[in-house]
Formats: sequence, structure tokens, C-alpha cells
Amino acid sequence: MSGAARGALWTLVALAAFFAADSLLFRTTWYARHLSPDSSAGALEYQLQWLQRAPASTAPEVLVIGDSRIAEGFSAPTADAAIHRRLHFWNFGTGGTTPRVWYYTLRAADPTRRRFAAIVIALDKYPDRDWFAEFEDRKTDQSYLVMQLGLGDCLNFASSMTAMTSRLHSLFACVFRGVALRPDVQDFLANPEARLEHAADSLHNGLRYIDDYAGKPESLRGLTADWPSRTLHFPADVAEPIRANVTQFVLPEEVPNTGAMARYRQRWLGGILDLYKDSPTKIIFVQLPRGPLVNPQTPNGPGFVDSASKLPRVTVLPADTFTDLERPELFADGLHLNREGRPIFSQRLAQNVDEILAGGSR
Amino acid sequence: MWTKSSPEAAANMLFTTPEFCLFLAAVLALFYALPEPARKYLLLAASLYFYIAWIPRYVVILLLLITIDYLAALWIESRQGPPRRAALVVSLCANLGLLGYFKYANFARETFLSLFHPAAHFEPLAIILPLGISFHTFQSMSYVIDVYRKKQPAIRNYIDYALFVSFFPQLVAGPIVRAEEFFADYFHWRPPTAAEWQQGVSMMLTGYIKKLVFADQFSLVSDRYFANPAALPGLFPAWTASLAFGLQIFFDFSGYTDIAIGVALLFGFHFPENFRRPYLSATITEFWHRWHITLSHWLRDYVYISLGGNRKGAWRTRLNLMLTMLLGGLWHGASWNFVIWGGYHGLLLSVERIVWGRNERTGIARLPLAILTFLLVTIGWVFFRAKTLTAALYVIAQMFTGETQNHSLLSPWQWLLAIVSLTIALAEEHRHWLTRLARAPFWIRTTAAVAALLVIELFTATDLSIPFVYFQF
Repeated sequence: MSGAARGALWTLVALAAFFAADSLLFRTTWYARHLSPDSSAGALEYQLQWLQRAPASTAPEVLVIGDSRIAEGFSAPTADAAIHRRLHFWNFGTGGTTPRVWYYTLRAADPTRRRFAAIVIALDKYPDRDWFAEFEDRKTDQSYLVMQLGLGDCLNFASSMTAMTSRLHSLFACVFRGVALRPDVQDFLANPEARLEHAADSLHNGLRYIDDYAGKPESLRGLTADWPSRTLHFPADVAEPIRANVTQFVLPEEVPNTGAMARYRQRWLGGILDLYKDSPTKIIFVQLPRGPLVNPQTPNGPGFVDSASKLPRVTVLPADTFTDLERPELFADGLHLNREGRPIFSQRLAQNVDEILAGGSR
Repeated sequence: MWTKSSPEAAANMLFTTPEFCLFLAAVLALFYALPEPARKYLLLAASLYFYIAWIPRYVVILLLLITIDYLAALWIESRQGPPRRAALVVSLCANLGLLGYFKYANFARETFLSLFHPAAHFEPLAIILPLGISFHTFQSMSYVIDVYRKKQPAIRNYIDYALFVSFFPQLVAGPIVRAEEFFADYFHWRPPTAAEWQQGVSMMLTGYIKKLVFADQFSLVSDRYFANPAALPGLFPAWTASLAFGLQIFFDFSGYTDIAIGVALLFGFHFPENFRRPYLSATITEFWHRWHITLSHWLRDYVYISLGGNRKGAWRTRLNLMLTMLLGGLWHGASWNFVIWGGYHGLLLSVERIVWGRNERTGIARLPLAILTFLLVTIGWVFFRAKTLTAALYVIAQMFTGETQNHSLLSPWQWLLAIVSLTIALAEEHRHWLTRLARAPFWIRTTAAVAALLVIELFTATDLSIPFVYFQF
């Protein structure tokens, strides 16, 4: 064997040893239980651990999954109470998550596909219109999923990105988890004692903190819009960052519709339906209250839910189910329901789900 | 600085990207799979692809200069008298002309306008600096001059010469490899031994740690401060930000060259050393023997000696030193800050010769001198880093007369990194343990490699892809 061949072999051995060290650190359960509860990976991981550690519910369970609009706008205890605990809801709303993250989250949350009577998937809007660029190449998705992506997922996950750079980064970070966990590890090492304490507290009490959360106190009561001139009139007490947020989402810039969102939803929402195709679990799609004000000229269009609604065990709630909640006084900013809107939406969603499940064989 | 690297260049094929790792693995695998005669074609194709990945259109400039210098050298070798000189002049004009246009056109226009039409508004030309032009033009010029000086035979095969100029590990930021060094390996190529391969990998890992863990960490401080020094007034912010930049540029540039040297070694090429722990220098002269060594040698051989070197008396030697350093400063960038930085070092070198002659200091006597040298170099970096001369003068003023109520900009972690790097430099200076590591027993070097990979994985300073500082030159 030549010197170069021996050198190359040594390089491969060193890389294999590095992979083993990375796996020992991050593919065992210890680090997953000590992630920062404030990190993206931690947010998702603790939800899964609370779910796994929860005592068996006597009522059928319903998992509501979505982004921050669910995290802020939905209260599981309020929903449970609204239907006299005939169902038990789980809030799996995580800020910044998208259907790709939901797919892997559900796969981990419900490995047998038998645990839940229903999965409620909360969409910002039904039509598959693009609303921001680089949806498919979001690096943050990996930050959420780092502990959930197995080696067998790496190629599939990386290939779901479109840019070569994103694909390669994803592949690296999927194989070597430390790459994606770097900020979390650095934060851990900066103050290990505080992290251990925070992680233990979150594991034992985090779900209670979420259940006790009342919602954002801010209100946009008094907000009005002049749609022809694309002008918003804010009440005086609305802070500048919130004004900017509201303007961004209530008066969005038109993004050319490339079909990227349609392809994306087809892949990942379709993937969720595939996960549950042999399961008794019902899949319920919900269009969330879209914002404090909604331009009446907002274009509609076809959406993934149109075809999904034809499938057995899939229910698509009518798009106008919650449009009466699209009122400034129920919103804290351009996206999120506030302390006043949260219980109303939670009760109404629970009643809708209860009716759907009661109509079927709960 | 009016010329700049393309923003698109920042993203592709940086040594620190997964794209480069994939590219390198593929080229290495193909290189050793192909029969030996085909390998040079592979390396040339890979090098051009590497360059095209940055800004495709500029490959035309690279190939044009390669062709001109290749033909000029053949012409010089085959002729006598004035035609030889004419070919040399054509080659130098082509190299310096293109370098001058891309790097100095806006600087010259701005200077001209400020001198003769001070009221006129200066609108810079939209010129994007071709990546690595400062390096490959110097490399090409040294070859043609060496052929002219009959120190180097002209290369007959165009592919051979094109590969010498464009070989991807050193194409964009050096080290500036001489033809005799490159072709000594090229014409008597042998595969690297296992120890050389391991040394190459060790150098790459060292380079990645220098860049991603150290340089990018210190850049967080220096970039913040030098974006607007007036926002952080005071003596300590000025000193610590300048110190941060001094550490950043060292780790950044020496990290790049470590990777370049390591990559070249995997292909069986031995690049010259470019940095030898410069901040341990006890004099400015020693600093320039340890900092960007290949540029220092280039300037010595093709500028300083051409000007007469030290053969024409003490004052002429000092003048030659000053002129060489001014040119060296200007090579780094098109602004008066770089000229002043070069002049500052030229002045220090001249003063040093007057005060100390060429006496070498050894032992503990080096310590105060090393500290003084480090402080003098750190002051010089202010001109190198500040955006404008006004900003540089402001920072210098803060370093000496600033208020003392504001604190250091370096975090405890960054201080720790600085101390760790000093400790490693001292250990390496006296023990050469990094060099010896490649020859250590299997389990030691494998453990060291895994530890280095974990450090890169977990302690990289930022998720942002920060281009190497010297790419702008």
C-alpha cells in the first residue's frame, strides 16, 4: 500500500472516529435531556418528552400542531375544559416551524400512529400562494429537527432543500449533529450548572408553565385600514416594532407565485397524510384567523387541502370557520391572537374537533 | 478601498464550506485514480473550475495573463538583447496594467480629483477585483523575471505553466510560490508519504481551527469596533479592538495558508512556509521574516534588490527599505491607509537598523522587545483596518489619549483564546509539537485529529460564512 493510500486510510479512520465521538455526545439520550429549553431543538424536544412522560389519558387525545400562532393562540387546558374533557388536547405549536418540521415531529410524537384520535394541522391560510422566499431552504428547520433526524433521514431531508449549498450544509449537520447543536453546546459550556437546572425545571414543570400561560397582553383594538391606499391607522399606544410587524403581515408585499409553496405542501403535508394512511387517526386541517385585519381583495386560489379533503379520515374545516375572529381587538400583533382571542379560539377549535370526532367513531 | 471582492464570491468555494470539502474529496479521489500523465489535466481543470465557481467571467483574465507570460518567457529565453527586454516589459505591463486597472483605477482617480479638482464629486467606477489577482500576478511576474535573469528555464508546455499559476490551493491568497519551488515537485513528482499526508491533514485542521475558531471570534470584536470607532470611545476599546484585529488577521491569513499548504501536500506538492509565529518576533525585521514570508521574499528579491538593496550605502538602504515597504503596503490595498501602513513599517525597519543594527536578541532579553514589537505592530494594524485615514487617526488618538472609563471589548472567552494561542505559539516555537504530531503513534494522532474536528465542529465562532481577509487583496 502506498504512502498516500495509507494516509487516506488514516484520514477515513479519523473521520469515522470523529463520527463516533459526535454520536456518543449527541445521539445518546443524555444531551437531548439537557438541551436549552429556549433553543429551537429544545423547544421541540421538550414537547416530545412531556408527551412521552405524560400518564395515559382516559379521554381520546388530540394533537394540535402549528407554528407560533398555535403556541400563542391555542390553550390545551381551555380546549379540554370547553368540551368537558371529552377529549385531551396537546399543544404542539412551536414558533417558526413549518410543515417539514411538523412531519418529523409527528413521526416522533406518534411512532405507532395510533396514539391520537385526531391530529389538527393549523395552516396560516388554505391557498398555496407563496408568501416568502426560500421557504424550502430554511436552515432553521434543521435547528428544530437536529435530534429527530436519523442517519437514514439525512439524504431525504437534505434533498428537500433546493440550493446545493443548503443541501450540503443540511447533510453535514444531519450526519454530524454537533454542527447544528453548536450554539446550544457553547451556551451549555458557558454555564453548565445553570443549564442543568434550567433543563431539569423545564422537563418537570415546562408543560405546566405552558398550560398556565394566558397569552400576549397587547391589543390592536382601534386598528383600521384604508385598503385602496394601503394605509393602516394605528391606535396611539401601539409600539413601533409591533406596527412594523402588523404592516408586514397585514399589507404584505406581493411575492411572485412560483408554485414553490404548492410543491412544498404537497411534499410535507402529503407526507403527513402518508404517515397516517393506515391509521385510524383523523387528520383535521384548520385555517387560522389570518390577522387583525384581512384585505377583502386577498387572492384565493387552489390549495393542497382541496385534494386532501377528498381522502378518507381527512377533514378540512371550512375556510371561514374562524374568520369572525379576524378582529384587531383579538390580536397582539400581525400574526398572533392575544390574551382575549386565545380562549375564544381554543374553545371554538375544541368544539369543532369534538363535533367531527363525535360524528365519526371516536 | 474602492475595489472590492464580489459579494457572490463570498459564498462559493471558500475553504471553509462543505462545497470545498466535497470538491477536494472528489479531486483527490480522481487524482489518485487516474494514470499519472492525466493528472495534470485533472488538476488544471479542477483549478479552473475552482476559479470559475467564484466569478466565471474573470477566468478570461487569468488565462490571458497565463498566455502572455507563457509566451513572453519562451520569447525571452530564445532571444538575445533588446527583444528579451521588450518581452519582459510586455509581460510586466500586462500584469501590472491589469492589476493597476482592477485594483488602483478608482484610487488613482480619486487621488487625482482630490488634488486637481477638489470640488468635483468622485463617483467610483464599478470595478470588482478579480479574486487572487494580486497573488497570481506576483507569481507570474516572478517567473518571467527569473527567466529573464536566467535563473529559471522557460516552461515549454502550456498546461504545465497554466497549472503553476492556477493551482487551486494557492490561487486566491497564496502562498506566493516560485516557479523553481513548484516545478521541483512537478517534474519530479512522487506521491506523498503517509507522514506527509498526515502532516497535510494536520495543517488543514490547524488552518480550520485558526480561521473558524480564532479569527472569526476576534472578527466579532474588530468588525463591531471598526464599523464606527466613535461609537465606542476610550483607550481600552481602541487597544482591545486593535489587538482583536491583529489576532484576527494573523489567524485568518495563516489559517488560510495552512489549509493551502496542507491541501497541496495531499497532492504531493510542498509549498513554502508563509508564517512562523510572527507575534513572537523581537524586532520588526524579524517580524517581516516571520509574517507573510513569501511576500516578504518576493519584495526583497524583485523590488528591494532591484533598487540596489543594501549595496549602495546606509541611507540608500533605508530609502530602498522605505520604498519597498510602501509598495508592499500599496499591494495590500488601494488606499492611503495601506500606503501609510507600509511606510510605518518601512520607518520602523529603518529606525531599528539605526538603533540596533542587526544584533539578534536571545533569551529573556527578547521578552521586552517582543512586547514592544507586538505593540508597534498592533498600532500599525489600525491603519490597515480602519475604513478611512480619519478613522485611523481617531483610533490612534484614542489609544494614547482616550478616556479610561470604558472597558475592554474582549470577553473572558476571547481573552482565554488569546492566551491559549500565545501558549500554543510558544510551545510550537520551542518544541515543534504540532509538526511532530504527524509522526506520533497512530492512536495519538488519531485522537488529536478527532479532538481538532470536535473543536472545529463545536467552537466555530459564527454560523456566518466570513470570507478570508486576504481575499480582498
